[in-house]
Amino acid sequence: MLLVENLTKKFKDVTAVNNISFKVESGKIFGLLGPNGAGKTTAIRTTLNIIKPTSGKITFENKPITDEFFNAIGYLPEERGLYKKSKVIDVIIYFARLKNLSYNDAVKQADIWLNKLEINNLRHKKIDELSKGNQQKIQFIIAVLHNPKLLILDEPFSGFDPINQQLIKDILLSFVSSGKIIMLCTHQMDTAEKLCNDIFFINNGKEVCSGSLADIKKNFGKNHIKIEFDGGGEFLESNPAVLHIDAYSNYAEIELKEKIQPYDFLKSIVEKVKVKHFSVIEPTLNKIFIDVIKQTN
Amino acid sequence: MKKTLIVGKWEYIEKVKTKTFLISLFLTPAIIILFAVLPTLLANQIETTTKAIGIIDTSGIYFRELREKVSQYKLEDNQPNYVLVNLAGANKNIGEIKNSSDELVLLGKLEGYLLILNGGTDSLKAEFCDKNTANFRDIDNFTNALNNVRADLILTKEGVSPSIIKSISDKIKINPIKIEKGNTESKSDFLVIFFSSFVFIILLMMMILSSGGMLIRSLVEEKSNRLIEILISSCTPDELLMGKVFGLSSLGLTQVIIWSLVGISLAGAGVIPIEVFNNLVPIFIYFLFGFVFYSAIFVGIGSIVTSEQEAQQITSYLSLVLVLPVALTLPAIENPDSLLVHILSLVPFTAPSIMILRFNIGPIPGWEVILSAVIMIISIYFVVFVSAKIFRIGILSYGKKPSLREIINWLKSE
Repeated sequence: MLLVENLTKKFKDVTAVNNISFKVESGKIFGLLGPNGAGKTTAIRTTLNIIKPTSGKITFENKPITDEFFNAIGYLPEERGLYKKSKVIDVIIYFARLKNLSYNDAVKQADIWLNKLEINNLRHKKIDELSKGNQQKIQFIIAVLHNPKLLILDEPFSGFDPINQQLIKDILLSFVSSGKIIMLCTHQMDTAEKLCNDIFFINNGKEVCSGSLADIKKNFGKNHIKIEFDGGGEFLESNPAVLHIDAYSNYAEIELKEKIQPYDFLKSIVEKVKVKHFSVIEPTLNKIFIDVIKQTN
Repeated sequence: MKKTLIVGKWEYIEKVKTKTFLISLFLTPAIIILFAVLPTLLANQIETTTKAIGIIDTSGIYFRELREKVSQYKLEDNQPNYVLVNLAGANKNIGEIKNSSDELVLLGKLEGYLLILNGGTDSLKAEFCDKNTANFRDIDNFTNALNNVRADLILTKEGVSPSIIKSISDKIKINPIKIEKGNTESKSDFLVIFFSSFVFIILLMMMILSSGGMLIRSLVEEKSNRLIEILISSCTPDELLMGKVFGLSSLGLTQVIIWSLVGISLAGAGVIPIEVFNNLVPIFIYFLFGFVFYSAIFVGIGSIVTSEQEAQQITSYLSLVLVLPVALTLPAIENPDSLLVHILSLVPFTAPSIMILRFNIGPIPGWEVILSAVIMIISIYFVVFVSAKIFRIGILSYGKKPSLREIINWLKSE
């Protein structure tokens, strides 16, 4: 278990991370979510002991994070890049060796992972001959090759096409079942919604909202409906039962006022528009994210 | 320690494979040799053909004597170096003779001609006219010959006996001899000092610049693509720093060893004097001092720099500092005992170059060597310490280049 308590990091006059606490348990994916510049990356860097926190306590399996944990940590930074002029296989082996793998193990694992990510044919190419997506696969391999107990991934899906996103998702889910502690940092809410069990929203360096995905949704999921229709839905906005609406040309997500029953609302609109689909929904993480961040701003 | 070695090995292998390294390995000595040897070779080019030189002697008394004196200059195959042609026609005025002689030179019939103008009983004026201005060796030969002839003539006229004249005109040549320990004497040759000092100093400078440049570029790359974060979550900054310096030093060592082998084989082939390698061990030690000292500075500076342009700017400032000892080489050879040279032997920035130079010029007092070496070692320790501190924070600061005050604050932080 990774436990972060009262973490604060100040840079001169800017407080990048302000007194946040969370825990990341094994067998679950922990999502650290927030808009750009919220303090996610600083939180990660202090957690990893790359930079020293101004105050706060970070423990991994009940011990403070020190140099001895180097080999148990896998980290994929948000900004990507590798030694451009070097060969794929050389770069992978170098980083595996830095994580204390023997040369033979490094070669063996490199083989396994290059095959798993379907890029074994590129092993002798130079990094800068690779496409952006493939470079990213190499970085992913570097983060996971040494079988780390703690895996911290900053925007692991950006730059991948849907097929490769699925590939990475499957691998992450397999890590969950093998008991790794995984921290995922992203602003792609749909991915976070599918993968994360625990969520931590951060904005302006402060905690905004946290808990299990199910709890968060329950708290926010007051009275949301989704409706598909033919024809104009302009009248929906002026309906007195509507508290908030995300309207598109023939689709809308609506938050109803507290006392309105969804069924009564349906009855009130069927005569005005041809309803094709009507359902009561939990709010998407995307919606929660936007609401939560807007509130705090 | 293990990770230091892994980093060092990676830096070494990845850089040995680069074109920059290969270029600096082969091109640097080639350029130095070209610049150092070519002018000397050209100037000392051994002549193989006899030259036809015209003589216009308005006094009419020098030609015969001059021909005799000049006949002493021989080519390697014992052929005469010059054949003299008397151009002074009986009934022509000097202007006409000059015109026709100029024509002969331009046509290539004559290499040049010597014009001896008799302005009065004792005053004599001479000009050497040539297609190219002045081959200094020819001029030297003719100046000597003409002066000797003139002195002979004057002395003979005063009734001095020919044997005395001969003993006066035999010049004494002073040979420079360097005294070394164990009463051995060796010829101190300008060329030897030049080779063993100047070339070593330039090699040191070029090596520091090329590998320091490589180091800064790789640091900038690691910073700009955040590889540094993966590295720092795999090993400590100190391990990374030591690994880099270690890899770079091995790289430098590889260059020196290859260059030494080339140098020794050149010496074996007689191309460069073997005396160049007399002081190889102390020179080698100071070479390493200089290299490690400057490498550590480069690491510290490299960790502050955030872009390729900045890196180039800073490298060019540093190269100015590095050029200083090279500029001081000649004055120091001429005056190895000046106070300035003694002071520069103790300043860590110049000590390696100046000491390399002084080892070749002559014995250095033991205390001075020890003092200089101790200062060097302390300075290296200090620079590594400071660089490591800057490195630890600098590698993680992005964007704006830190101000001097910020860097000083980094140094104060624990």
